[in-house]
Amino acid sequence: MMETTDSNRNLLSVEEIDTYIGQFHILEGVSVDVAKGSITVLLGRNGAGKTTTLKTIMGLTPPRNGRVIFDGQEIQGKQAFKIANFGIGYVPENRAVFRALTVMENLKLAERKKGDLDRHADFIFELFPDLERLSKLKGNHLSGGQQQMLAVARALVPDNKLLLIDEPSEGLAPILIQQMMEAIRKLRETTTILLVEQNFIMASQLAERYVIIDDGKSVHRGLMSDLVQNQDLIHQYLGASIQAPISTSEVQ
Amino acid sequence: MSHNSKKLLYSVIGFLVVAGVVFGLYTYAGQEAFIRTTLSGLTLGSLFFLVAAGLTLIFGLMDVLNFAHGSMFMIGAYTGWQFYTNPTFIFGVLPLVLAFATTVMLIPVIKPRLVRLDLSEAWQKRLPILTYIAALLVAVLALVKFDILGLAKTAMVAVTTTSSNPLAELSPQEPLLRFLLRLLLLMLSGAFIAVGLSKPGNRTEVSAPEPLKKRLILPVVLFVLTIIFTLVRESASEGVLLMNGNLRFALAIIAATLFGFLLGALIEITMIRPLYVRSFFIVLMTLGMSFVMRELVQVLWDPLAYQMVRPPLFAQPGRATTIAEWLMNGSSTISIAGVTFPTYRLFVILLGVVMFVFVTLLMNRSRLGMIIRAGVQDPQMVEALGINVKRVFTLVFALGVALASLGGIGAAPFLPVQPMMGDQYQMQGFITVVIGGMGSYVGAFVGAMILGMARAFGDYFALKLQLSPTIAEASTVIIMIIVLILRPQGLFGKKD
Repeated sequence: MMETTDSNRNLLSVEEIDTYIGQFHILEGVSVDVAKGSITVLLGRNGAGKTTTLKTIMGLTPPRNGRVIFDGQEIQGKQAFKIANFGIGYVPENRAVFRALTVMENLKLAERKKGDLDRHADFIFELFPDLERLSKLKGNHLSGGQQQMLAVARALVPDNKLLLIDEPSEGLAPILIQQMMEAIRKLRETTTILLVEQNFIMASQLAERYVIIDDGKSVHRGLMSDLVQNQDLIHQYLGASIQAPISTSEVQ
Repeated sequence: MSHNSKKLLYSVIGFLVVAGVVFGLYTYAGQEAFIRTTLSGLTLGSLFFLVAAGLTLIFGLMDVLNFAHGSMFMIGAYTGWQFYTNPTFIFGVLPLVLAFATTVMLIPVIKPRLVRLDLSEAWQKRLPILTYIAALLVAVLALVKFDILGLAKTAMVAVTTTSSNPLAELSPQEPLLRFLLRLLLLMLSGAFIAVGLSKPGNRTEVSAPEPLKKRLILPVVLFVLTIIFTLVRESASEGVLLMNGNLRFALAIIAATLFGFLLGALIEITMIRPLYVRSFFIVLMTLGMSFVMRELVQVLWDPLAYQMVRPPLFAQPGRATTIAEWLMNGSSTISIAGVTFPTYRLFVILLGVVMFVFVTLLMNRSRLGMIIRAGVQDPQMVEALGINVKRVFTLVFALGVALASLGGIGAAPFLPVQPMMGDQYQMQGFITVVIGGMGSYVGAFVGAMILGMARAFGDYFALKLQLSPTIAEASTVIIMIIVLILRPQGLFGKKD
């Protein structure tokens, strides 16, 4: 019975996945658990394998070994579009907004059922008011920040149970980072989020749990509140690639 | 300079150049020759567009250069010509294909059961190979002494005789009982294929989540069609031949387009899909396929050139002065501003314009078009949104082949129908795509019209100035070189 309660609590369990890209062994036994209704953040240096972990969950770089269990079902090895249809939304790091499509079309494209967008439009435009104003503009005319918002908004169009969000703050101006954080905080009320974030301040304020990935292995996990106290651990694995976590306690 | 003002400047320059060239040609050639040559150019341009539209869509989305596109143009012409002239061959072969497809399409029904079988890994590999061999043997057995060449020759006979009775050349199909045996054997062969493709014992294969009823729809429909077309094998040919010629021509267009669509889907699923990871092989594969298609056609219909009879709407001698008069009398020529021009060529121009409108609507108004425009940029992200991109690839490839096939049947009534007829159009199609920009259907349309005009006016000047007629062919390549120097990505190209 232990297992059932466990799978009830964890919306997503990544168990010991090995992922190869070409001949390169990128992930070596990475394990990540994401509790239902929480925000979990993947931390680690550049090139540690955080993005590949998200892509592996999404089925874009399928794992060679290991299991990915989402909502009680094994999803590893399935095609990406099937995995998405289980209820996973993906926001990639390069803000893959479709440049030839208008903002509205970008959102429309993300519909899985007719009427998805109509049902969620109010919520989406409340989170990102800019998008409503820009709805007729093509993707290639948007600024970096607007593209990032569109990329997140797109994942909100269908009823997703889990959002995989890769570096939402990357390249954003401070005021936009603030807006993005507000948005993600509001999203937590309705969905579960697995986040990759280099900005440690943002990560520490948003996430309850963390997993540190280093050199393709998941080396540490636990509560965010414990991590912010543990300067040694932060230094050892996250080093200079993140801003100092001092301001965290100040903000809180 | 900002993006928009630059765009405006280019448009103005482009417009001035076009206007200048048009005006220059008009004053030089005079009204009569100008209109005649322009209409010829539009006719050629329409056909170029039908070939290039498919090429550019397929390349834009999948990065596949389809070197068999010209052969598919040719296949379209043959299919339409067969259907129009004497469909005995089509109706003789159709039930066999349907019977085979019926059981192959059982895959979603049997797969969930087969993957659960307990098989050792060696047998998981061996069993599909064995079933394929069995399928091949049974299929050969099914087609023993099937007189496919005899069936194919029926349309050839129809061309050489000038009997006024359209049914005179109909040759009887073989006895029903023997034919039924062939059908059964082909269904068995298809079933073997289905078992092999289901990967028995391979538990990692995802079973189909749809309810059984939904999975049974396609096989049942195919089975019913098999029965229907078996029963009407002979009467269908008669029925088609007794039909009004214009209606028969319309059906021939539909048949050729539909066949192109299905052929394209089949080729994409079976041969191109496994090669996306090695895209260079796709070039070799499609090139090889074009040779195979040409040889097959030569075996069936001999390496001869056939002339398809124009449908009655375009065939009566006489010159109409208005469009209404043409439609009423079915005149073969029409007078446009004092210039006599064949009505059938007007129809080809119309076909090209209609298909351009269709593709424009498809790309801008439909969900499929949205997916294609997004997929050109990033197919992986489209898939991550939950869209089955593979299926979209199949659809787009099938659509491209259907357009080429439509071009083929469109060309059949005024070009000789022969195995090499598509080669020239494929070449011009590629040049069109380069001029217009890879992946842009608007570019394909503009490029096709430019090339059509270049060919037509090239011919005109060659005749008038007593130059070599090859100057017309060379002109298209010269235009391509100029475009490549000024705008390497093509006139409407965005991809680098």
